[in-house]
Amino acid sequence: MSTSVSQGSHDEAHQAPILGSMGVDSRKLGLWAFLGSETLFFVTLITTHLIFYARTKATLLAAGTLEKLDPRTHYLGIELTTVLATLLLASSLTMVLALAASKDKDWKRFRFWQLATILLGTAFVGGQVYEFIHLYHEGLKLAPQYVLEGETVKSLYGVTFFTMTGFHGLHVTIGIIWLIATYVKVGKFPNSPENPMDIELAGLYWHFVDLVWVAIFTLIYLI
Amino acid sequence: MADHVSHDEHHVAHESHGTKFYWIIGAILAVVTALEVGIFLVESSMSEAVFLVILLGLALAKGAGVIAFFMHLRGDAKIFQFVFLVPLLFAFTFCIAMLKLFSNHVGIAG
Repeated sequence: MSTSVSQGSHDEAHQAPILGSMGVDSRKLGLWAFLGSETLFFVTLITTHLIFYARTKATLLAAGTLEKLDPRTHYLGIELTTVLATLLLASSLTMVLALAASKDKDWKRFRFWQLATILLGTAFVGGQVYEFIHLYHEGLKLAPQYVLEGETVKSLYGVTFFTMTGFHGLHVTIGIIWLIATYVKVGKFPNSPENPMDIELAGLYWHFVDLVWVAIFTLIYLI
Repeated sequence: MADHVSHDEHHVAHESHGTKFYWIIGAILAVVTALEVGIFLVESSMSEAVFLVILLGLALAKGAGVIAFFMHLRGDAKIFQFVFLVPLLFAFTFCIAMLKLFSNHVGIAG
């Protein structure tokens, strides 16, 4: 065993890297496989939304009311969403800086960047809740119709929008809880040899939720 | 066991960058985001095809930057690349096929 393990506590000796037959950390391999499955999950949600938006547009175009009742142009602004995208992108940067600090065993710097990541993520979730409340009052709900200009339009736009962005928000929230758990664990066991890997795993998940927002921001809000 | 540890450490060492590098990547990604928003604001001055190609290209570049440098997939073990990129490729194919098949129907459920 390595020197750091032999100098540590008995508990730490049981936290040696879990290497599988492929010579890589099994937890990291498991997380990458999980993230691979998550891409299918989110792409399915995004695709469903894009299909039902296209169908809504085709229906409105056939009725000659596309300009008046297009849900995307009326409901979705990019001002708040650009701020949210910037927050999540900044949190990805602070996360990777936290990981770099952990590899240098600079725990003070790690705590600073990890806390910054948690705060940026929390601000993102707060912004998303604000957006949801705003859209709800504007007439876009988790229902098979939306109300615009006093007219009710049958469409799954709202259902697919809130399902997709809601699941993303849930993932961000889970990510924040994971980051807080890692922050607390590192604070309690600063000498654990597993700290860099624990932080790396939480970071991988965090970057993934940022990656999903990159796709949602472009495909749902901009295009 | 020792061989495995050194093999793993090789990957960790290979994927490590200085903090300055991450700041540069973060700045580039921020500029790409600003470009996306800027292009969205001048949408009416360009054709729809050009608008789509530019925005999708920028989003792909941004996503690739996050995966390669922040998630350190570039230079990491090939098995990690395989278990993530294969489903990602499948997901892209699935998305394009479904959009092509089901987007042009009129009515709530087509």
